[in-house]
Amino acid sequence: MAKSMLKRLRVFSALVVLVAIVLTSRLAWLQIYQYDHYFARAETNRMRELPIGAPRGEIYDRNGELLVGNRPGFVVSVLDLNKRDQPDVVAYLSELLEMEEADISAKIWDQRYRSFAPIRISTKPVSAEVVAQIEERRIDLPGVIIETQPMRYYTEDSLAAHALGYVGAIGREELLKMQEQGRFYRGTDSIGKFGVEKTWEEYLRGQDGILRVETNRFGRRIQVLDKKDPIPGNNLTLTLDARLQKIAEQSLTEVIDNLRGEGNDQAGKGAVVALNPNTGEILAMVSFPSYSPSTFNENFIKLRDDRDNPLLNRAVSGAYPVGSTFKMVGAAAALEEGIISIRSIISCTGRKVFFPNDPARGCFNNAVHGSLDVVQALAKSCNIFFFELGKRTGIDRLIAYAEDFGFSRTTGLQDLEGERAGSLLRREEGKFWPVGNVLTAAIGQGHTITPLQLANFSAMLANGGTHYRPFLVKGVSDKSGETILTVEPEIINQLEYKDDTWEAIHQGMEAVALPGGTAASMRNLPVKVAGKTGSAQVSLSGSHKAHSLFVGYAPADAPEIALAVIVEHGGLGGQAAVPVARQIFAEYYAAE
Amino acid sequence: MFDRRLFRNLDYLLLIAVLAIMAVSLVIITSATLANPFGDPMFYVKRQAIRFLIGFIVLIVVISIDYTQFYRFSHYLYGLNLVLLVAVLFVGKQTGGAQRWIDLRVFELQPSEFAKIIIIISLARHLASREGNFDSLFSVVPSFIYVFVPIGLIFLQPDLGTSLVFIVILFGMLFLAGVRMRHLLTYAIGGAAIGLPLLWFKLKTYQKMRLMVFLNPDTDPLGHGYQLMQSMIAIGSGGLRGKGIFEGTQNQLEFLLEQHTDFIFSVLAEEAGFIGGVVLILLFMLLIFRVIRTAYIAKDTFGALICIGVATMLTFQILVNIGMTIGIMPVTGLPLPLMSYGGSSLLMNMIAIGLVLNIGMRRHNIMF
Repeated sequence: MAKSMLKRLRVFSALVVLVAIVLTSRLAWLQIYQYDHYFARAETNRMRELPIGAPRGEIYDRNGELLVGNRPGFVVSVLDLNKRDQPDVVAYLSELLEMEEADISAKIWDQRYRSFAPIRISTKPVSAEVVAQIEERRIDLPGVIIETQPMRYYTEDSLAAHALGYVGAIGREELLKMQEQGRFYRGTDSIGKFGVEKTWEEYLRGQDGILRVETNRFGRRIQVLDKKDPIPGNNLTLTLDARLQKIAEQSLTEVIDNLRGEGNDQAGKGAVVALNPNTGEILAMVSFPSYSPSTFNENFIKLRDDRDNPLLNRAVSGAYPVGSTFKMVGAAAALEEGIISIRSIISCTGRKVFFPNDPARGCFNNAVHGSLDVVQALAKSCNIFFFELGKRTGIDRLIAYAEDFGFSRTTGLQDLEGERAGSLLRREEGKFWPVGNVLTAAIGQGHTITPLQLANFSAMLANGGTHYRPFLVKGVSDKSGETILTVEPEIINQLEYKDDTWEAIHQGMEAVALPGGTAASMRNLPVKVAGKTGSAQVSLSGSHKAHSLFVGYAPADAPEIALAVIVEHGGLGGQAAVPVARQIFAEYYAAE
Repeated sequence: MFDRRLFRNLDYLLLIAVLAIMAVSLVIITSATLANPFGDPMFYVKRQAIRFLIGFIVLIVVISIDYTQFYRFSHYLYGLNLVLLVAVLFVGKQTGGAQRWIDLRVFELQPSEFAKIIIIISLARHLASREGNFDSLFSVVPSFIYVFVPIGLIFLQPDLGTSLVFIVILFGMLFLAGVRMRHLLTYAIGGAAIGLPLLWFKLKTYQKMRLMVFLNPDTDPLGHGYQLMQSMIAIGSGGLRGKGIFEGTQNQLEFLLEQHTDFIFSVLAEEAGFIGGVVLILLFMLLIFRVIRTAYIAKDTFGALICIGVATMLTFQILVNIGMTIGIMPVTGLPLPLMSYGGSSLLMNMIAIGLVLNIGMRRHNIMF
């Protein structure tokens, strides 16, 4: 072999070695130096995570009765559906679910690269009947599966619907708001939209589980790698008493039905709130008309467009004229300010002119009550007596006492949204103030109040001036029953009035429910009731019937329930509200 | 037919390297084709094993003919080669935008594969007969013309990768034949300066995309960049020891494409790791160095040139194929010698190795 050739073979060999070194170096770079990076990428390639929906927390009444729970909802889905079987399966499902074949095929096509996840065919949960039909034909329907997902279940249908609220699919804005708060939601999640379901969302919502599956390049599921079980949401115990709530709803409904039966076609709306005067717990909250949270999403359009607005929680968001129930404020102001004593007598002549240029004012039906003390005046709801007190007390002092009792301010309820503050007819600097307005204000005209405020007013009268923050949720516990949170009563304001003042008011309110009082029909209840009726004219022309109101508490000696009832357009005096309250007290205490 | 004494000179080390690479190939092909539409997980590996057997029969035939016989017939081979390459342009089967195959019913013939070995033989004769006459720059022009006729035909298919293999083989053999270094460099640089811009206009869109993607893999991660990206993920995630044979997720879950043919190295590196990859590269080195050694001990220049042609071809194909899977070479359709699933390339490689063994066996002028 020639020498030059030998040299060239050496050069050639060196080049071959160089190739080996280049390849090995690059291999080392990828497999050793960049291993972590590429390993992570390979894992992301093959792993997909599917959420497993966590059931929401359950909601119980104060005695442990289940109000809101979960039950399995059935959804028809396809998973690993074979191309060959698809036409038959789609045709069958189309008939069974009453959907267009094209729509079903489109759903499958849209998710062809996500076939590791079940593709939901039915948009809403299907009946047990449909499930049974699919199970019977299991062999003919390869790739069709029944998925279960927890569904909200309201045990008593519309019971306490406004307090409990409802759940719906999360909207875009809600999603963004939650993201801002650092709370993770998917676009397909449900969220509390109203009531306690909304305000306590953070506790009620569970933590979704994760199903980690291995998929191939085509997104087909190969195997399940691991599974993290969902953690159910926490359970709420409410302050509501389901029994009282039911009685209150039935009573209000029956009275309204009766009114309508008697030809009062303006009647049809109303509200009841019952508080525990010793704690501020909301024992019952009724808003009429109501709705059913279970079918809320299906009926949404109808409910939204209903002119009676069943979605409005009138108990906190409805503001009504106070009417004669305001008279306790006038009494308290006059007694506290020393303008009258419990024995002071004022004479009622039926009609009277209090100020020059102010028209004569009188009592209901121009009744003449004669000489009255404050207790009798409350019992008979004498306007002349309270006109006189108002004139003597003056508007500014009168309004200050009204504010003491929480008028024109929200009560402090945090468990529901949309609480209104109501308003007071008050004199303002620099604005025209007719002298006669103080008389109007003294008998409760011109002020507005929510049923919850009215119930709080009632509670403060019952407990001697303690304003507790009203609340709906007593406590939170986790799935295993472990207590997470206990809500303690909270005093927002405490009035320091003289005992004589309370004594006079209590006697007056008790006399209301005795023979000769405006709610004498309550005299033979199993429990001693104290209360006050009211009616508020809503139109000067008389075209609309007055709202009918009642505030009161029972038992009168040791109050347990402070009640407020409003029946819209229920008529003058206690025509409508008193029977509601009477029935509530009668049935609630009859059973004990 | 055989003289027993010839077997004393048979290069058993070279044969062992070939057998070892084939064993690795069968394992990796099995793993790469477990999931296939034929229902039999061993479908591909059985066919490849049969091809290996046929390959050995062909190899025995090749070593049984004294290689000096090929010297005599090389002109006829060259002619046959041109006929086949022209034929493929007219009767060839179209796959993936290129016309590379002739359907012979029994098997599909890829003339450009056999063209490699024919060019090596005929170029070896061409250069051997001109030995010592390569002093001037223009002395190699006839050799260029000689090789560029078949290259032109292959380029028309079009098969850019194989065309490149020919050019590299040509340079490797010219280098060993004694053409001056600076002359070779002049031709290489000049050829590149004129050829590359022309080439760019001739390239099909998919070929351009492949080159673009090679220069910047992120241009098209779901399209043309996908294969390359998935290959690098497979290899990188294999780590030092690999994920285990049959355990490579990139392979088994089909994120890799063409994983039993062009991207078989990605499967090996994913499942057997850096260690597996280096072992294979070392086996290839053993093979190539036994070929170079045969060039060194060959009794004539013709034999030495054939060996260098084969060594160049193997080295270049290994560089381009493995380089492609690890992102340092553009994606071309070149298979990995002895490893990739397929018949034509394997048969050609077995003939080439047979020739080398043949040259090694007949290194002495034995008197019969």
